[in-house]
Amino acid sequence: MSALSKSIHPDEKYKAGTLGTSMSRAGFGLGAVLLIVSVVLGATAGDQWMRFFHAYLTAYTWVVSIALGGLFFVIIHHLTRARWSVVLRRVAECITDAFPVLFVLGLVIVVPVVLGYPNLYYWNHPDAHDAHLNHHLHGKLVWLNPGFFALRYAVYFLVWIGVSRYFARKSREQDETGNERLSEQMRIASGPAIIAYAMTLCFFAFDFLMSLAPKWYSTIYGVNFFGGSMIAIYAFLSVLGVGIQRSGRLTHSITTEHYHDTGKMLFAFTFFWAYTAFSQFMLYWYGNIPEETVWYNYRFFNDWQYVSLAVTLGQWAFPFLFLLSRWTKRIQPIFMFFCVWQLVFHYVDLYWNVMPNYHWTVQKAFNEGKDFVAGPLSGAVGANTIGLSPVDVLLPAALMLLFVGAIGRAMKGNLLPVKDPNLGASLAHENY
Amino acid sequence: METNPEKHTSSPAGEGELYGVLAEFDTPGALIKAARKVKDAGYTQFDAYSPFPVHGIDEAVGIPRTILPVIVFGGGIAGLVGGFFLQWWMNAYNFPWNISGKPTWSIPANVPIGFETTILLSVLTTFFSMWALNQLPQVWHPFFRKDRFLKVTDDGFFLGIEAADKRFDLAATRRLLEGAGAAAVEDVHKDPDPKKKVMPRWLYAFIVASTALALIPVALVLRAQASKSADPHYHIFADMDFQPKVKSDVAYDGFVDGRGNRGEVPGTVARGLLKADDAYYRGLDNGAWLSGLPKQVEPTADRIAHGRERFNIYCSPCHGYDGRGNGVVPERVKALGGSWLARNLVDPKAGVITMPNGQLFNTISNGFNTMMGYAAQIPVDDRWSIVLYVRALERAQNASLEDVPADRRADATR
Repeated sequence: MSALSKSIHPDEKYKAGTLGTSMSRAGFGLGAVLLIVSVVLGATAGDQWMRFFHAYLTAYTWVVSIALGGLFFVIIHHLTRARWSVVLRRVAECITDAFPVLFVLGLVIVVPVVLGYPNLYYWNHPDAHDAHLNHHLHGKLVWLNPGFFALRYAVYFLVWIGVSRYFARKSREQDETGNERLSEQMRIASGPAIIAYAMTLCFFAFDFLMSLAPKWYSTIYGVNFFGGSMIAIYAFLSVLGVGIQRSGRLTHSITTEHYHDTGKMLFAFTFFWAYTAFSQFMLYWYGNIPEETVWYNYRFFNDWQYVSLAVTLGQWAFPFLFLLSRWTKRIQPIFMFFCVWQLVFHYVDLYWNVMPNYHWTVQKAFNEGKDFVAGPLSGAVGANTIGLSPVDVLLPAALMLLFVGAIGRAMKGNLLPVKDPNLGASLAHENY
Repeated sequence: METNPEKHTSSPAGEGELYGVLAEFDTPGALIKAARKVKDAGYTQFDAYSPFPVHGIDEAVGIPRTILPVIVFGGGIAGLVGGFFLQWWMNAYNFPWNISGKPTWSIPANVPIGFETTILLSVLTTFFSMWALNQLPQVWHPFFRKDRFLKVTDDGFFLGIEAADKRFDLAATRRLLEGAGAAAVEDVHKDPDPKKKVMPRWLYAFIVASTALALIPVALVLRAQASKSADPHYHIFADMDFQPKVKSDVAYDGFVDGRGNRGEVPGTVARGLLKADDAYYRGLDNGAWLSGLPKQVEPTADRIAHGRERFNIYCSPCHGYDGRGNGVVPERVKALGGSWLARNLVDPKAGVITMPNGQLFNTISNGFNTMMGYAAQIPVDDRWSIVLYVRALERAQNASLEDVPADRRADATR
């Protein structure tokens, strides 16, 4: 087939210039302010930081899932020898450059856990060691203990930073030399990289999210988290691309055709996410075993049922139905609406994963007159209000800003892989 | 249609009417360029032919966007609605069956099937609509008469302009295609024999033969239905026919008592069997006989009619259809030389009329003197219907003329 190809438009501004510095300044500055406000709110809440840590975990997994999506975007690009996505790859590489900053932000959770903070992860609570009270949990403590948790955290980030650095460095090296063998090297590396990626992502989801309810388990949990992170990256990348274009850069390179394709992926993973989420739910619903259904039980029979419904309709039914159409992906304002919508609902989804655990613990402790202890899987149904806290909104905003700052920090030099052998094909890319 | 006098150039001997011009190109790129050129020259009746889908050919030939997605969406919706309807009709309406305590109609259980039927109908709609929209299968075409055209399934890229096009002019059209970089241009004529347009004979033979072969399994099944055999039954799904599970009322070594059945767990009551409602289940009201009716029992004409039906089945053999105690059993006793009457239900002196409803219900349930209890045969609700009918019978058997509506009294005294 004749390769339809184009060269970079002569008027194209593909140098990052001051964009990166202004992004990192605004992001780090505002993000830090919001984070400090949240810390003050957390300190004064008088709940032993419980709300703060749960909200922080939600916001943190939100931004990490986007960065993980970016890493997947880069790896799968090389693995499949994709051509359409070349114009977006450098932006995705900049997203993955945020991992070191995310590592530092993750310490906010890991360090207190290592120091013995008991009210976020129940397996870190002294009660968890009571072999009589928590027989099932007792056996799991081989895996769920603060030392190993911190070690795994370090390993995950070592893999992510290592893999993302490898691809970003080779890609930028190609900008200088134009060596086509670099593409081949990256393709060879992408095979093992995707395996390492899949393993680390799944176990990250198990450790940081699923272990909030340590007696409950779902083998598809990591896949479901991956689906959410895919929704997030295609939405985020599209929004970031439009943002960069608003600044007058890449205006000729990224076209409706590329947004149409990210839109297709957004659509596909919207369904993929729903498919895995329903797979998880249906087996538990059908099996109807108390220790498995308890996780859903809490989310089905009080105010959380409305959140469950909102996630189902908001992250699946509504966008699915509209993203079916070609035009919702090609008309930019409509597409941007759905991208932002999906990013927000991805946060709601994670909120729905994390926050019921907080209510469980508080309610149980309250019932027993205890001091914010007790097991999340004791299944006390109550706490009829979700009780939004300001940190639920401030923390995702703060972490998103810090994340954008970290991306900006990486935006130096070219915003396009200017000497990628497939750049021409990507520039000329069209959908039919 | 406007006719161009020049386009009907005389056909060579042994050839039919001119069908069009066929041009071969070496690469997909050349094909796209040529298609664009032909389109720009104003032609509409032409098409591109290639061994694989060529990116960009739709736009170059000027093919409008297909309506296939809309048709498929309709097919998908039909699959979704049909799938859910199917499950509702089968599981909740036509043959409701308790499967592990799940509701007969519940969305979570229906989603996987609904998903599958959606996919199934989408795919079938896509497949068949695509064929229909492309007017396939097309077993005959004038271009097939050119040996060169055989390459279209291998490495040839062709553009064919039909003579039916308004702009068609044999010489000019040939020039246009040659100028567009064609490797070869050929005139294509229809076959002089119009019968050659029909499907080839061997295709008919193939369809008949494959249909006959497809009937063999059906015939085997039908034969097996109609014939007898001493051979053991062949189990295709042996693990479904012989499931490693304990069925009710069988011996089983796995339990110490050797029984497959498990008794009720002490201190528990099965769902729906608590029967805490004294009035309804026992006809009692704070230890005394209930005089009214339990709240579940509405004295409607339908219920009384149902009560009559049950009464005539279970009670009339002894008490008689009119409740006077001379049913077929007392008649038989009389025939054998004995003397026994069942209790007269309607005689004020026999004492049944003054019984509270609850006591009457209890009598039906647990029996009285020589009468056996009917709790095992008659469901609770039906027993209450019988109570209501007995009350109606008592009233009817002791009625005076005043109880009959004025316009029907003539019938009653006739």
